Amino acid sequence: MTLWFVLSLMTAAAVFAVLQPLARRAPLRSGSDVAVYRDQLQEIDRDRTAGLIGEREAEAARIEVSRRLIGAADAEAPAASVDRTGRRRVAALIALVLLPLGAAGTYLMSGSPHLPAQPLSARLDRPPADAPGERSIADLVGRVEAHLEANPEDGRGWEVLAPVYMRLNRYEDAVKARRNILRLLGEDAVRHSDLGEALTGVANGIVTADAKAAFERALRHDPNEFKARYFLGLAAEQDGRPNEAANVWRELLAGAPPDAPWTGFIRESLLRVDPSTPMPAGPTADDVAAASQLSPEQRTEFVRGMVERLAERLQREGSDVDGWLRLLRAYMVLGDRDKARAAAGDARRALASEPDKLRQIDELVKGLGLEG
Amino acid sequence: MIPEIGHYALVLALGLAMIQAVVPLWGARLRDDTLMGTAGPTAFAQLAFAAIAFAALTACYVYSDFSVANVFENSHSAKPLIYKITGVWGNHEGSMLLWVLILALFGALVAYFGDNLPATLKANVLAVQSWIAAAFYIFILGTSNPFLRLAEAPFEGRDLNPILQDIGLAIHPPMLYLGYVGFSISFSFAIAALIEGRIDAAWARWVRPWTLAAWMCLTAGISMGSYWAYYELGWGGWWFWDPVENASLMPWIAGTALLHSAVVMEKRNALKIWTILLAILAFSLSLIGTFLVRSGVLTSVHTFATDPTRGVFILAILTFFIGGGLALYAWRAPVLKQGGLFAPLSREGALVLNNLFLTTACATVFIGTLYPLALEALTGDKISVGAPFFNLTFGPLMVPLLLAVPFGPLLAWKRGDLLGVAQRLTAAWMCGLITVAVTFAITRGGPILAPFAIGLAVYVMVGALTDIFERAGLLRVPFPTAIRRAGGLPRSAWGTAFAHFGLGATLLGIVCESNWNTERIVTLKPNETVSLRSYELTFDGMTTRQGPNYRELTAKFTVRSGGTVVDVMEPSKRNFASRGTSTTEAALLTRGFSQIYLSLGDPAADGALAIRLYHKPLVLLIWLGTVLMVFGGALSLSDRRLRVGAPKPAKKSALQPAE
Amino acid sequence: MTRKQRRLVLIGTGLGVLALAAALVLTALRDSVVFFNSPSDIVEKNVQPGARIRLGGLVKPGTLQKDADLAVRFEVTDGKSAIMVAYRGILPDLFREGQGVVTEGALDTAGVFKADAVLAKHDETYMPKEVADALKKQGHWKDGQETGRDASAVKKP
Repeated sequence: MTLWFVLSLMTAAAVFAVLQPLARRAPLRSGSDVAVYRDQLQEIDRDRTAGLIGEREAEAARIEVSRRLIGAADAEAPAASVDRTGRRRVAALIALVLLPLGAAGTYLMSGSPHLPAQPLSARLDRPPADAPGERSIADLVGRVEAHLEANPEDGRGWEVLAPVYMRLNRYEDAVKARRNILRLLGEDAVRHSDLGEALTGVANGIVTADAKAAFERALRHDPNEFKARYFLGLAAEQDGRPNEAANVWRELLAGAPPDAPWTGFIRESLLRVDPSTPMPAGPTADDVAAASQLSPEQRTEFVRGMVERLAERLQREGSDVDGWLRLLRAYMVLGDRDKARAAAGDARRALASEPDKLRQIDELVKGLGLEG
Repeated sequence: MIPEIGHYALVLALGLAMIQAVVPLWGARLRDDTLMGTAGPTAFAQLAFAAIAFAALTACYVYSDFSVANVFENSHSAKPLIYKITGVWGNHEGSMLLWVLILALFGALVAYFGDNLPATLKANVLAVQSWIAAAFYIFILGTSNPFLRLAEAPFEGRDLNPILQDIGLAIHPPMLYLGYVGFSISFSFAIAALIEGRIDAAWARWVRPWTLAAWMCLTAGISMGSYWAYYELGWGGWWFWDPVENASLMPWIAGTALLHSAVVMEKRNALKIWTILLAILAFSLSLIGTFLVRSGVLTSVHTFATDPTRGVFILAILTFFIGGGLALYAWRAPVLKQGGLFAPLSREGALVLNNLFLTTACATVFIGTLYPLALEALTGDKISVGAPFFNLTFGPLMVPLLLAVPFGPLLAWKRGDLLGVAQRLTAAWMCGLITVAVTFAITRGGPILAPFAIGLAVYVMVGALTDIFERAGLLRVPFPTAIRRAGGLPRSAWGTAFAHFGLGATLLGIVCESNWNTERIVTLKPNETVSLRSYELTFDGMTTRQGPNYRELTAKFTVRSGGTVVDVMEPSKRNFASRGTSTTEAALLTRGFSQIYLSLGDPAADGALAIRLYHKPLVLLIWLGTVLMVFGGALSLSDRRLRVGAPKPAKKSALQPAE
Repeated sequence: MTRKQRRLVLIGTGLGVLALAAALVLTALRDSVVFFNSPSDIVEKNVQPGARIRLGGLVKPGTLQKDADLAVRFEVTDGKSAIMVAYRGILPDLFREGQGVVTEGALDTAGVFKADAVLAKHDETYMPKEVADALKKQGHWKDGQETGRDASAVKKP
């Protein structure tokens, strides 16, 4: 409401700026050539008195200016005085009607009056109870970065930072971090395909030659590495070979565990290249399409629904570490720190027997600032 | 709410600009005071709304409101406050907003100070100014809107590039813009004169100071950019003749020409039609400078492919204003009354010569800048036209101009006496010749042309002072009288002297730097010494230091001259590891007007360090000269007197110095 | 002098200066223009040794070798062909393997490009335009990569 009030006030001010001079009756103050030439004559006299020009020069200048002065005086025509209420009305009408209508129309075409401002401080305050939220991420990133400035050879540090960079859309930094991870901690399939993913992010979702090479390296380490296979399929699609892409993705689906969380995603991609793909239950392309048409609130609800489903599934089969990681991030995105913390606890219990996976959870928890 | 207020303010500014573009023009045609009277208040209101829009965007940057797409793309919450603010114009959309803000500001200034202008002229000028403004508001709202929103504010902004965060780079674009946009006033005045079909005496009185102010900003902006490149890019170059620099140089040259022809027009009522053409050209080159070259419209077809609307829009604006302006000129200029007569050998004649050489030089820069683009568009060949081209074309054209510079202020208006002036310049050309001889003697076997260029610079500098000395009667009257007389000289005369002296100083700096610049690239181990000219630099060692978000490798060098320690230089290399970028911080040691320039390369494994070492004789004069030019401009601008060029009477009296 | 004579003097001087400028421009364009080439261009057009050209592309990863006395060698590639470049001096801050680079110099008889200038632009994400075009031609560059970075923020070379 306040916004509309302010906007109308601004409109009123603009209209006033046009109407006010139209209401004036007094003639305009106006300079004229005659005045200029008079000033020039005085100036010549002053210069002469000050000794800046000689008498003869002054005389010549005086004659010349006087000639121009006479010419200007002749040329000055008396202003025509006619009835001008009609014109005023037209001008006033333009200001009163066209200006507000035009402005409102133009603004509504591209403006977003329903969106509140979201300055950093407001966003930090949003869950007022525990403000750290995003701030702590920025802080943490800064702290880890500072740590890495001093110890650039600390591979684990880079490993903490890389997923956060991905989350913050800082893909170029993520690429650097992941290159460092590969260099410092050794190569494996997952690290290579993570690098490929970051490279793809840098190129705004295009699988570049570099990214493709990274995925291919990943497959040399582990021919079943899921992410690498998915992205190579995507590369095939982008290179204009949809059949190849469809084959890759179909194979992926065939080999997938029945409840793998990413099957919906793959089906959706598959549907793009091969519309005949059957769609089982789960987040289908339709769901996603529907989601993209929802209002922000509804979309949040939709996402929440998906997250609940994921959480339920993880309660049943707790060994899916990727699922847990995604769940934690999802809660953070939704601003549910408490749930995220609870989920982290669940995940730790479920994965207690697998130190490797446990470590992944711990790192993310640290990266998200969920500790303490 | 803030971004939406800014957005709406921009829309209202557009609406007001459209009203201001039509109603006063209509009023001027009918000589209706009331309708013409709308121009002033709408101009103020337009400025107010443009300022609100700009302030709103700045607030979004300061508060890191990433729900504004433009802020998200170009800022970062951890940036220091100053760079958040300067970041507003560090991108296309924001810089466009700054551009229209300055445009509105100039419009409002004309409205405020324009009471002594004839009413129709003022109304027409403000209307034309508003056409330009309206075109750019539409451009911004339609294709480069900085207030577009993102439904969900992202976590963090995208851009934090340490290299671009430099105070020099932050101030230099607004200065350039003040210059570019300042020429819009001259342009609006020119178009208004063409519309009216006559040039008032008040016209010239107005155009010169505005052009001068714009020219000063442009000079300062270009000079600042050049010094930034010199100290920040790490290899001591200060001018690259690259298209972006040329784009700012061309309006500068045209503006300089306009400045000089406007003097003739103001004082002598001559050269009217030519001045109008120059005013149109200066602003056209400014438009080309900011948009055509930088937007990449011509450089690449791909730019069209990525954002066709923006490129087409820019082309449309350029065609409309440049083409329209020139067409109007062709149609209406013959209607204008011819100005006063003058002999070829006169102050007017000298200024015409100045204009002739400046515009021709400007044309060669234009060809050198646009030829590669045109060639690529036509044949697909990619070429680069670099310094050699400009040295071969721009350079020779400057020589006759520089020879003529000292003559100008000494020649009388209307008809002058060349021989007499040459006599009075004896001191200047004697000094010049002696310098040539001395330089030859000192630098035996060096570049042949350089001593002549040095002599030319000295001649220009002494020549600039001659006018003041003569008029003060130095050496002819008792010293205190001369000082008193010098103090009583019009400030515009001092302004001319300073600006021309500065030109000579810049030339001196350029010639010395480019001919006798000593460069050494060596690898040094700690405690080794390298000699450069009469200096010896000892590499004392390296230390690393932790900065706020970088790691700095600083090398320490002790500089000795003839065994005694002069100073210590500490160049460094900053490494932003998490971003993987590094910057070179050169160390500068100033000795008089010369500098020693030291920047670091990469350290090798064995502890040796590659360094780049320059001795740059008189290099500071390049920028000090431009400072003098700006100062001269300011002096001349502060001269509130009316300016009348008093011609000499026809009888022979020219041998007497004008007092 | 009459008005007519004055005008003739003016026009005469003007034409003289213009003719001088035109002559200068034509000579300069003949002598001092440098063509830009990608490595493939050099192979396909059979560029002569000794001709001064610009060569641009990506620094091929793994090919940078630094020798004694600041001499460096690296290969510049556009994905199709690669040319060995030899240079002596300090490389710019932004020079990096896998990144875009423009070098100026001439081929020697052995087919090595002797560069006397190596340019890397000063924004890490900014690709020299010629290099981007050359890479686009070879299909190694996607338009999407160009988003959001405005040239005005990156003014100087």
